[in-house]
This record gives sequence, C-alpha cells and structure tokens, in this order.
Amino acid sequence: MSLLELKNVSKIYGDLKALDNVSLHVDQGEWVAIMGPSGSGKSTMMNIIGCMDKPTKGEVLLDGVDISRESSKNLTDIRRDKIGLIFQQFHMVNYLTAVENVMVSQYYHSMPDEEEALEALERVGLRERAKHLPSQLSGGEQQRVCVARALINHPELILADEPTGNLDEANENIVLDLFAQLHKEGTTLIVVTHDPEVAEAAQRTIVLEHGKVAREVINENFGK
Amino acid sequence: MTKRRMFLRMITASLLRRRSRMLIALLSIGIGATILAGLVTIYVDVPRQMGAQFRSYGANMLILPEEGKILDSDQLAEALQKIPQDELIGATPYRYVRLDMTSRQQSFTAAGTDFTQVPKTSPYFSIEGAYPENTREVLVGKSIADTIGVKAGSTMELTYQPISLSDELTPEESRIPNATLSGSAEGFGGGVVYVSLQLDENSTIKTIEINAETQTPEYGGRASEDESYLNQFKGKTLPLTAGEDVDALSGATVTSEAVVTAINTARKTEKNVKPQTLNFTVTGILTTGGEEEEYVFLSLEDMESLTGSGQLDVAELSVSAGAEQLETYADAITQDSGSVRARLVKRVTRSEASVLEKLTALVFLVTLVVLLLTMICVSTTMMAVVSERRREIGLRKALGASGGSIRKEFLGEGLFLGLLGGVMGGILGFVFAQVVSVNVFGSSITFQPLLLPITIIVSMAIAALSCLLPIKRAVAIDPALVLKGE
Repeated sequence: MSLLELKNVSKIYGDLKALDNVSLHVDQGEWVAIMGPSGSGKSTMMNIIGCMDKPTKGEVLLDGVDISRESSKNLTDIRRDKIGLIFQQFHMVNYLTAVENVMVSQYYHSMPDEEEALEALERVGLRERAKHLPSQLSGGEQQRVCVARALINHPELILADEPTGNLDEANENIVLDLFAQLHKEGTTLIVVTHDPEVAEAAQRTIVLEHGKVAREVINENFGK
Repeated sequence: MTKRRMFLRMITASLLRRRSRMLIALLSIGIGATILAGLVTIYVDVPRQMGAQFRSYGANMLILPEEGKILDSDQLAEALQKIPQDELIGATPYRYVRLDMTSRQQSFTAAGTDFTQVPKTSPYFSIEGAYPENTREVLVGKSIADTIGVKAGSTMELTYQPISLSDELTPEESRIPNATLSGSAEGFGGGVVYVSLQLDENSTIKTIEINAETQTPEYGGRASEDESYLNQFKGKTLPLTAGEDVDALSGATVTSEAVVTAINTARKTEKNVKPQTLNFTVTGILTTGGEEEEYVFLSLEDMESLTGSGQLDVAELSVSAGAEQLETYADAITQDSGSVRARLVKRVTRSEASVLEKLTALVFLVTLVVLLLTMICVSTTMMAVVSERRREIGLRKALGASGGSIRKEFLGEGLFLGLLGGVMGGILGFVFAQVVSVNVFGSSITFQPLLLPITIIVSMAIAALSCLLPIKRAVAIDPALVLKGE
C-alpha cells in the first residue's frame, strides 16, 4: 500500500524546470533514499513532500490526500500530523534545553508531556543530557535530539534532509542505527542524501538528475 | 504539562536566556514607562504644587466693606464662614492710617493687622528679626527703616493725628466758602484714595491734595503728582462730573473715578481731636521688594488704642481652590452679607489657570512624544529580533506552528516585556517625579497607588502595538528556509 505517490509532478521557476514530470511512489513502511547532485531537484522534491511548497503541475497523494492543491494552512496541519522532519543543520531552538526542544514539537502537535519527551531522548541515548542547551551539545548529540523530536508525535513519514551531512562517521552510524530501528517499527523513511553510504542503508534509492528520475536502485543487501 | 505552561516556559526562556537583546527592548519600554509614570505623577500633583506656588505670591481674595458701610472683625468672621475651613489658608485683616513720628518729623502709612495671619497670606514677606508677638511692638518696612535708621530692638514713638469728619454736615452742606474738606473712595484693586480740598471764598476748589499710594505706582499712583491732572481741578465747582469737568488720568480710569467720588463725598474736617501717642519697640525689618517696605505694621489692638476705632479697610484671604470655586465663594459672601463684598485678585487666579492649562498641554505633548519614541525603539528591536530568529521561526513553522501560534508567541513576549517594563517604570517613574518635584517645586509628592496598574497597562499596550509589524514579518517567514542546507 503506497503512503506517498507523485504523479507527473513538475515545479517550474520561470524557465527553470526544477522538477520535470516526476512520478514515484513510496510504500507504507518503506525506507527510501533520494540521491542526486546539487541542482537535481532534491530540495524542491523535499519541500513538496514536506508540505512546504506546491507543485506547478501534477498530483501528490500523501496517505490518500492530494496535497498539491491544499491551502498553506491545511498543509501546516498535514505536516504537523503526518510528517517528522530532520535537517542537515539540526535546527534546535537555541534558548531551549534538549527536552524542551522535543516538547516544542509536542506543543504544536497536541500536548507537551515532559515524561514522554524524556523517553524519546532515552531512545536516542540522551536522557542524561535532557537539561542541556544546544550550545552544550555536540553536533551528533544535537542531531539525535532532532531525531527524538521527529519521532515524538509518531509520524507516518520521517523526512530527513542530509541528516548525516554535518556528522562524523561514529555519529553517522548512530543516526543510521536509529533509522533502522524506526524502520523495523514500521515507520516510513525518506532520506535525501548525496552520501552513497547513507543511501545504501535504505531499501531503495531514487536518483534524480536535471529534475527527472534518472534511475531507481533496489538495495539487494538490505537487512543483511 | 498544559499547553499554557509550555507557552510560558518558552516565552520566559526566550527572554531570560537571550538577555542582551531583550534587555534593550526592556530598557526602552522601562524608560518610556518611567517618563510616562513620572510625568503623569507630576501632572496629577502639579495643580496642588502650582496652587501652593501661586499662593506664595499673595492673597487671591479680598473682602471689602460695601460703599458707605464699615467692615469690622465680626463681619469678617461671618464672611469667612462661607469658605470651608480646610480650604482657607489664611485671612489677614488690614486697617491703614497715617501716623506721625514727631521726633523725626516723618509721617508714614501704618497698617494694623493680625500678625498670626500675615505669613499665611503673604508668605513672601521676608523679616529680619521677628514678627511682633505683643502689643506695642511694630514691624518696620525696609524703606522706612533705612530713612529713619531703626533696626530690630529700636524704639519709636508714633502719633495718630485724628482728622475727624464733621458729623453734622452732609457733603453738600460742607461746601461753604474757605472750608477744608476730606474724602475718600475705593480705587483700583481695593486700595483707598484720599483727597483733601481747600475751597476759596467762592466755594470753588483752591487747592487739592491726593493720596493715591495704594494705587499702582506707574498708573493710578501718578494722581498725587501729575501736575496737569491736578491743575484741572482748580476753580471747579462741586460736585464734579467725571469726563466733563475733569479728564481721567491716562491708563488709570478706576483711580480717576475714585478721585472724583472722593471729592464729591468730601466733608468738612475739624482738627480739634486730641492726638494719641504710643511708644513702640521694633521687632523686625520687613523686606518684600514691594510697597510694603514703606509701611509700619502694628497690631489691631494698638491700632484701636491709637484711633479709638476697630474698623477694618480690607481683609486679604488665601484660599486653596480653583478659579471657578473661588468665584462661587466670592459670590456667596457678597450676596449673603449686606455690608461686605468679596473680590478675587484676578491676576493670581487667572494666571494660575492659564499656566496650568499650558502645563497640561506640555505634559500631554511630551508624553505623546515619549510614547512614540518608545514604540519606535521597541518596534525596531523586535524587528531585529525577528530577523535574528528567522531560522527558529522557520523551524517552528516546519514543526507545525500555525501563523496564529507564531503571532501568539511574539505577542506573548511583547506583553511580558511590557509587564516587566511597566513595573520598572511605575516604580522608577515615582522616583523620577519625586526628584523633579523636590528640585523644581521644593516639596515631595505622595505615591498614587493607581499609577502602577495604569503604567503597566499602558506599557503592555505600547509593547503589543510595537510588535504588530515585526509579528507580521515573522508570520510571513517561509518554513522551507530550514531545509536549505545553508
């Protein structure tokens, strides 16, 4: 059963076709990597899937709802309810502690619950760092807080934009292990990356070039 | 944890953990609120302060006898009943006569008065020595003291030479050939003008002497010296008609009319009453910079001993009330009493009202400018805060914050700043007002409890208003900016 489906999606800025008639689908529970050089349309696709932009043409079905024609207010609601976001730059609120940053996500979604937020931090191995400010955490720790923040509301889809781009190898492995765990629990993961190693951790890799799907690669070694 | 608690936690964290930026916004609101609270305090207190200031320039109401009637202490006491006791600051009776100091061949105007009341209606009296406390003691004006060379502790012998009016004769019957006539009438500002006439064998005016020293020196006061004015009376037959028989002294219509009235009511005088002489001790020398320096002041008891009469010429009142209220009191006194009338010293009461009006406008204007400046400053700071936090706002929106939530959070921060600034301003404003009041008016002010909540509400409103534009900017931020790997 597909969670996400793009049908003939184009995004055109003046003369530039950032996305050119792209079609793809992602099944429920699938772990997909999107690769491509810069300018290939990765960010544009990420914005559209993340309900932060709308395509010029085509349909985008997320959980059966066409999000390509929704108002930006509805898009905000859909993003809040269904999607967990992870960014390359981590993006924490710098004057809030780790646990408070996780709670911000709960706050906008439903109800802040400190105990639940602490459990999420425990999951990423940072319970004892809960009262630290972002400036007191390493890059890897910040990204793990962001993973905790992304999963706190149990989203159907976790959308990660170069999640390991600013991390060393040890931290990269920690984050990828966390993704593997989430995948096992049935969470759908879409990871945008230019790092082949990160892409190889996924079940399937979609390669974008010049705004089009150049090829799809099934990872034969997945889970082995 | 409820959403509200998380909301407060985020706002306080934002303000407390990002101190430097917020301190600037807080400072501008605080300073704005301080000046606002200070000015309002002064504004509320100024009428009281100004009232006190103006009253220090002298009395603001006079009580005078009606024409042809006599004012005495009983009638004065009755008139004072019309004014609430807590508003009556002082009431000083005066009786003016000429006294002679025979040993020096000098003659002065002497004022009989109540020395316990003088400082209340004439706080500007500056005494070298002390006010008389007993009978047979006098206060001497600086000008006289310099002329005759007395100081505190000196003694002086004063003589009253009565000019008694012939009771049997009316003014008309008095106008017999070669008669000497005396008359008086009330001139400008309640001061009495005295005339004495010498008639010739045809009963027309031969010589005239005018005593107008109670009048304004540069206007009515000239009546006693102006040759061409005095000369026009000579050879005229009584009674005179002002404007036909004689011209008015330019710029002194009231005094000129008083002179004519005094002439027309003048009666024959007889200088056959025995003079009274008393010995006095000087207790102090009076400096005022005004005409009082040419007077000798003595108690009403001594005045009665000298003249044999307890009548009064005028009472000066200092009343703590606004111009309209004063008018009401004056009308009540005049209407209820057949023999006395009250009159306002317009110069003081009018200028009090007009200065207050100007001050009110000034305070209002300054307050407006301060509020505007505060708003600009807070708005600019918040604008900088928003652009500084673009990423954070984008993140919040990416995490699902609606425009409404962003608006609420920034408004919350603004209101919180307004609250802190208002509390700070309310307290510092009182200190500011106190300092200004002590330095400018020389008196302290009382704390207005209502001022604190008002200041807080106003600064919160100002802060909220200043946040409107920055909030609009914040809401417009695109959440997608957090995805770009910048």
